[in-house]
Amino acid sequence: MKAFFSITLTILLILSVVAMATRSPDPGGPGRTTLVWATDNNPVRARQVELFNELNPDLFVVIDPMNAAREKVIVQSIGGVGPDLFDSFGYDSLTAFVNSGVAWDITDKLAEAGIDPQDDVWEVALSSFIRDGRVYGFPANVNADAIWFNKDMFDEAGVPYPRPGWTWPEVVETAKKLTKRDARGRPEQFGLYFSFDAWQSVLRSFGGRLWSEDGTQTMLDTPEAREALTTLQDLMYKHRVTPSPQEEAALTSQGGWGSGNLTFLMSGRVAMAFGGRWWLNLLRKDAPDMRLGVVEMPYPRRATLVGGARCVLVNSRSPRREAAVRFVKYLASEEYNRLLNDQADALAPMKRFSQGPRFELNPEYPEEDFNLVWRSVVEKATPEEVNPFVKGAELTPLNQQIDLMKSGLKDVPTALRDATRNMNARIRRQARIRPDLKKLWIERTGEQP
Amino acid sequence: MAADNIKGVKSARFFIHVTLIVLAVLSLIPFTWMILMSFKPLAEVESYKPLPTVWKPENYTSVFEQVPYGRYYFNSLFISAWTTFLICLTSAMAGYAFARLKWKGRDLLFQLYLTTMMIPGLVTMVPNFGLMVRLQLLDTYLGLILPGAFSAFGTFMLRQFMLSIHPSLDEAAEIDGATKWQTFWEVIMPLARPGLITLGIFTFMGSYGSLLWPLILVKSQDLYTLPIGMLYFDSMYARQTNVLMAASVMSVVPLIVLFLIGQRFFVSGIMLGGVKG
Amino acid sequence: MKKSTKTTLIALAFLLPNLLGFMVFTFGPVVFSMGASFTNWDLQGREPTRFIGLDNFVNILTDNQFWLFFVNTIFFMLAMPIAIAGSLAVALLLNSKIRGLDAYRTLLYLPSVTAGVATMLLWKALYNPDFGPINFIIEGFFDWIGMDSVTGPKWLLSTQNLLALGVEQVSIVAAQFGLGAREAIIIMGVWGSFGGGNMILYLAALGNVPQELTEAAELDGAGRWKLFRNVTWPQLAPTTFFIVVMGVIGGMQGGFEQARVMTQGGPAGTTTTLAYYIYNKAFTEYQLGFASAISLILFVMILTFTIINWKFGNKEVNY
Repeated sequence: MKAFFSITLTILLILSVVAMATRSPDPGGPGRTTLVWATDNNPVRARQVELFNELNPDLFVVIDPMNAAREKVIVQSIGGVGPDLFDSFGYDSLTAFVNSGVAWDITDKLAEAGIDPQDDVWEVALSSFIRDGRVYGFPANVNADAIWFNKDMFDEAGVPYPRPGWTWPEVVETAKKLTKRDARGRPEQFGLYFSFDAWQSVLRSFGGRLWSEDGTQTMLDTPEAREALTTLQDLMYKHRVTPSPQEEAALTSQGGWGSGNLTFLMSGRVAMAFGGRWWLNLLRKDAPDMRLGVVEMPYPRRATLVGGARCVLVNSRSPRREAAVRFVKYLASEEYNRLLNDQADALAPMKRFSQGPRFELNPEYPEEDFNLVWRSVVEKATPEEVNPFVKGAELTPLNQQIDLMKSGLKDVPTALRDATRNMNARIRRQARIRPDLKKLWIERTGEQP
Repeated sequence: MAADNIKGVKSARFFIHVTLIVLAVLSLIPFTWMILMSFKPLAEVESYKPLPTVWKPENYTSVFEQVPYGRYYFNSLFISAWTTFLICLTSAMAGYAFARLKWKGRDLLFQLYLTTMMIPGLVTMVPNFGLMVRLQLLDTYLGLILPGAFSAFGTFMLRQFMLSIHPSLDEAAEIDGATKWQTFWEVIMPLARPGLITLGIFTFMGSYGSLLWPLILVKSQDLYTLPIGMLYFDSMYARQTNVLMAASVMSVVPLIVLFLIGQRFFVSGIMLGGVKG
Repeated sequence: MKKSTKTTLIALAFLLPNLLGFMVFTFGPVVFSMGASFTNWDLQGREPTRFIGLDNFVNILTDNQFWLFFVNTIFFMLAMPIAIAGSLAVALLLNSKIRGLDAYRTLLYLPSVTAGVATMLLWKALYNPDFGPINFIIEGFFDWIGMDSVTGPKWLLSTQNLLALGVEQVSIVAAQFGLGAREAIIIMGVWGSFGGGNMILYLAALGNVPQELTEAAELDGAGRWKLFRNVTWPQLAPTTFFIVVMGVIGGMQGGFEQARVMTQGGPAGTTTTLAYYIYNKAFTEYQLGFASAISLILFVMILTFTIINWKFGNKEVNY
């Protein structure tokens, strides 16, 4: 027994030497500062980094897709091993990074370089990297969704292509003609994929909103909200032209490239799907022969929808943060913006590079006649609504009702009424128990919560 | 009478075999499904037909082409081996002190051990992370090994095991003039072998599969373990369930080997316990 | 030196490596997080960190959501007796002298070996209501007996459960009766546990049952059940005790991986356990003080269970 333990110990010690000896050296090579960028592993990211490395011979950016989750960036950065650059999505995420002291204020550095994000960048992106007038980074790309359609499937079914300015009844009519089911009623092909999770876009276009201006009230018990969510629920359970969660589960859980809804479109199982321009870089690669079109979703009352931006922030605790700022500046450069638009990785952050004939029709992809649609949706988009009083797990009462509507277990008016009641109670409760929120409540309403 | 008995034994055996076969089949279904899926082309992973139309063994080589899977493999085995070694050794020693020696404060300290197990580990992760920062162990092998290498669970388990060994054995050793250290290695450890192996298997598997701690602690690819490395095949832009399954199949091979070896020792341990107990 | 002092020193020497690591990596952090549970510690630093007394605890215990997640956690533990009995039964079967034991043992242990993200994704596919093989079999069976209209349960997508628990608050709602996400996760757990770690523990313990005892009982002509009840079961008592204690501890802290990989705590929060709740509070909202307080409450609950267990279990366990 003793011998066994001794031998094991010896082997382990030898292995330790091997393990330490074989750790790979700094990837940048001598004379270059390596910067780590925690972002996703979208295949187009490689070229974006390569271009930067070509333009900056003294720096070397490497992508670290496994360290990009927000909780990880914060915890690691506080511990001093965070990435030099990291992605942030939306206002809440920016707030978290700023409040935890991880995001570095680079307002002055960008101003010195003559970059003025307020004017140059799409408006929908601003709140994702600017907070209280201070700038903490720059968007890598900007996105808002529209409806993709598969021209081949339309032609096959003899259905005319959707036209801009269409209405929801027209969407349903079109989708019905493109939905096929087998004898048991099991779906073979769907007319439209429209994720229920995009409900906020629909709500907004019906003229509704989620929270009151000051965040103290839930605005879901309204005719606009009822109309919007009924429209979405009916797609699945009344008209049956959109997969319900259970019909969808088989496909999303198993994937293929990209997220489930993209797979749906790519594999020819849906004729139309609500998604972003960034799908295109994957569609070009994996479904090069598919003929595609894009049309905006219906806007019954207000021409607006939810959009967002993926922003790159600088780690304030990184010893290489000065060098990292150069990467942020690169995101505002013509080279990067042109590359991004060519790659179809959503839309480039700077407005002025999404203009002109080169943007409207990329000669390498002459059949892509829809770039102006993407510019148009990004112009219309506004950021997701945020409520300082409730986030994360505090949103459970809302998400519960959304889940129940989504899975067809509850009718929309009841669910919205319950969501409003439960969330209002939640907001008040938060304002009562959290001193910072209490202060905010009093500031905004002038009364005690 | 005798014939009846033999018949009874035979039918009992038949019953045992049937039950075990049914259970084994039930256990095997998902694993089989996993293997079959690992040979499917990507387009077929959605299909609920079990067999692939085209067999794609390339999925297995594809794992190595896309990520440094060999390195992940080594890291996982290396870290788990160290952890297991340390846990078995320190838990056995502590278990011995708790089970076979009488000293002041023993029960109190033991209860303290026991109580800490009841605190959700999630919440100690942040203080532990802070500790790693202080000790400069972030992104190192030591940081991956040390925090998991001292286990209240293991101590508890081996203590229970050592309690079931008859006290007369140490007394006999003591009369023979053996020191406690000798008694521990020569008498108790051999008898505790089934317990040690059980703990070893549990620890190895736990460490091999652990995700959250390495995920937070490790930054460089060189230190990735298999569970983190395999996340790549489930990430948004590289989701390939078939390749993920191929990687998973390969990753469980060491555990199966370990168990096959371990269970031989079980058998001998069991016999040993039977004779001397 | 007195003999007792000497023994104490020797004992401490044996204990030292473990104790040192235990103090640094377990006990220290535990004490730290206990202290943190009385503060408003927040990684986002919205306010300076300070002691807020029992505020966190009052807020948690008066929160309807906490109790919902508590009920979820307990729900998942209801199958524990079945899982334990199953693993004991399997261990007893494997303890007989038949051919192919090695093979059976390995095959039955496979689910534990392959446990992990990949297996959970696999189960997700198995449970698919429209395309999954489980409903394929269930619906096929009903077709066969002539009830074509029966559709299988919605499994992971359904809030229904066998106790008819309501979704939005702790209540009983008849319409919620059925098989749903919680049962799906329980079935997966039970499937994995029959041949799992507990089976191994029982197997190892069965090996320690002195043969003289069983032989003596057999000579007395005791039947199988009697032999089990009077000889084997008491001998297994320490192991059973260990398994139950660890089961409660693990169960109360469990459900995290399943929620993360399979359901994200849904549908409608029905598979959110306390562990997943703690994770969300700590790592997506950074309210570490609050998360520590939930842990401390959970700890007190587990401790209470264990003490009861200890009192009750000790009657059968001989030290």
